[in-house]
Amino acid sequence: MSEFSEDRSITVSIDHLSKTYPVPFLRLKKFFRRKFKPPVEALRDVSFQIHEGEIFGLIGPNGAGKTTLTKIIATLIQPTSGEVAVRGNDTVRDDAQVRRDIGLASAEERSFYWRLTAEQNLLFFARLYGLSGPEAKRRIKTSFEMFELEELARRRFAELSTGNKQRLAVARAMLAKPPVLLLDEPTRSLDPIAAARLRSTISSLARAGDSRVTIFLTSHNLAEVEELCDRVAIIGKGQIRALDTPHNLRATHTRNEEVSIIFSPDVADSVNLALRQTFTDQSFTLERASHDQRWLLKFSREAEDKTLDKVLSVLHQSRAIVRTIETKRATLLEVLEQYDESERDTRGRRN
Amino acid sequence: MVLLSRIWAFVARDWLVTVSYRMQFFLRVLSVLIAVTTLFFISKIFVGFTDVRFAEWRDPLAAWLTGLAVLNYFMTGFSSLANAIRQEQMQGTLESVLMTPISVPTVVVASSAWDFVEATFFSLLYLIFGWLFFDVHYRGSALLALVFLLLTTLVLSCLGILSASFAMVFKRGDPFGILLGTGSALFSGVFFPTQLINQHAGSGVASISKILPPTYGLDGIRRVLIEGQGFSQVHEPFVTLLAFLAVLLPFSLWVFGRAVRRAKREGSLIQY
Repeated sequence: MSEFSEDRSITVSIDHLSKTYPVPFLRLKKFFRRKFKPPVEALRDVSFQIHEGEIFGLIGPNGAGKTTLTKIIATLIQPTSGEVAVRGNDTVRDDAQVRRDIGLASAEERSFYWRLTAEQNLLFFARLYGLSGPEAKRRIKTSFEMFELEELARRRFAELSTGNKQRLAVARAMLAKPPVLLLDEPTRSLDPIAAARLRSTISSLARAGDSRVTIFLTSHNLAEVEELCDRVAIIGKGQIRALDTPHNLRATHTRNEEVSIIFSPDVADSVNLALRQTFTDQSFTLERASHDQRWLLKFSREAEDKTLDKVLSVLHQSRAIVRTIETKRATLLEVLEQYDESERDTRGRRN
Repeated sequence: MVLLSRIWAFVARDWLVTVSYRMQFFLRVLSVLIAVTTLFFISKIFVGFTDVRFAEWRDPLAAWLTGLAVLNYFMTGFSSLANAIRQEQMQGTLESVLMTPISVPTVVVASSAWDFVEATFFSLLYLIFGWLFFDVHYRGSALLALVFLLLTTLVLSCLGILSASFAMVFKRGDPFGILLGTGSALFSGVFFPTQLINQHAGSGVASISKILPPTYGLDGIRRVLIEGQGFSQVHEPFVTLLAFLAVLLPFSLWVFGRAVRRAKREGSLIQY
């Protein structure tokens, strides 16, 4: 995670944003009494701010409104109501200035010209950004080095692997050195090593001294979001359900944590007895961990309560030697699942 | 300056794509040569049969080649703007292009720039092959012919903007393309004098040719290039084309602005 502070200036401001996709030719359909599907409400009263140099993650199930929100920030779709401003510029009124300030990298392979080489593709987009010939070539060279694509510069886009196409998309988004980067599943098609390298690059962009990049990231890879993002918003049915740091989201939504302790030697019976005497309403599982007299003790506790201290004391009194202790909090996936379930429950009750 | 450099970027891109399909390019050159040769032999049937009323058609080969060369250019002016948007939509590249600080009208104009370069080349090829291999001679002011060509292309580009607006909202089934594509060849005097429509189909059908801008463009260019007429003799089609432009330019830009806003509202700008 980058060194994020809320004191920093606001780079992206989203204020009471709603988007309902209109029914095409509604009046005509009504006039001819044709059936039509109801308008799709993609976003409902979404408000949040992203600060300079922050890596902000947006997660949610398919159809939750992630792509619509990204495209509104990218000026490709106009909101129905509310406002989005990037560095103070409105995405509808000052759309050209907003596009100068943002770069978008999506996982869409078809966004390049397949008959052109990787270099020719970047040169074309650099010219559209208004970069002069020598400057464009210098930037392209730097981008190729940064994303380890030098050897593929002269290859046709069609000949690149899916992972390299993805890296080229991020390189293109960074070409004009925009202060804001929108990344839509940036590591979706990458192998684990390439994905880790790209994550490291993304992280370093947000930490790069005076030229920090603000990053808005959507991903289905929750481990990636946890690793990279300073704050995460959970979106469901077009509404922001929760917004906090990954740590706080986990802590707020699941107070409990699973504790696993491995101990030796073979003193399981006395440990079991001592635990029953000490804890009357706490359940424990005790099982053999391996063949060399090690035992695994599992229990859950409320985060930071005194259960663990008491258990360690019992183990000590039973002459057990603690080998390892692991605590496991809920992941973002579990948090997301919890929201998904509550949404399904609400829908079920309505039906 | 920035606009020019962006148009140049699109031209350079399309040039690279074109040369990556070398065979297609040479086959197109060959097809022009075959078409010119075919018309040369057909024109031999009409030697000595030309009606004195149709002075521009005294040398049918010259009239056809001018007609085809100019029609090629006109159709580019009319269709390339809509095609540019449609092609970018279908390729999936429109979103990434629109993510750069470039306006939608600039994308439309710049994307079609290469089509004009190509149309210029192939239109000239009709005339050059006629001159080089079949002794077709042109007289009159090339500059005046060029002014006519540009003016008619501008008028057709306005219709092209309407067509692009249609493509942006309805995606397919463009009525302008169907009407102008088939209508121009039949009613604008590309292959035969428009007066013949009046003679054989009546004034009602003949009036269609009067509402088509290519009719005036072709008439002017033929009178300049084949008959050698000066501006004072061709001012009538010239003024008519100016009138078309005065009405169509503001109207088409207004419609285009509305189409872009509508597509952005519906979120369908990049769909096809």
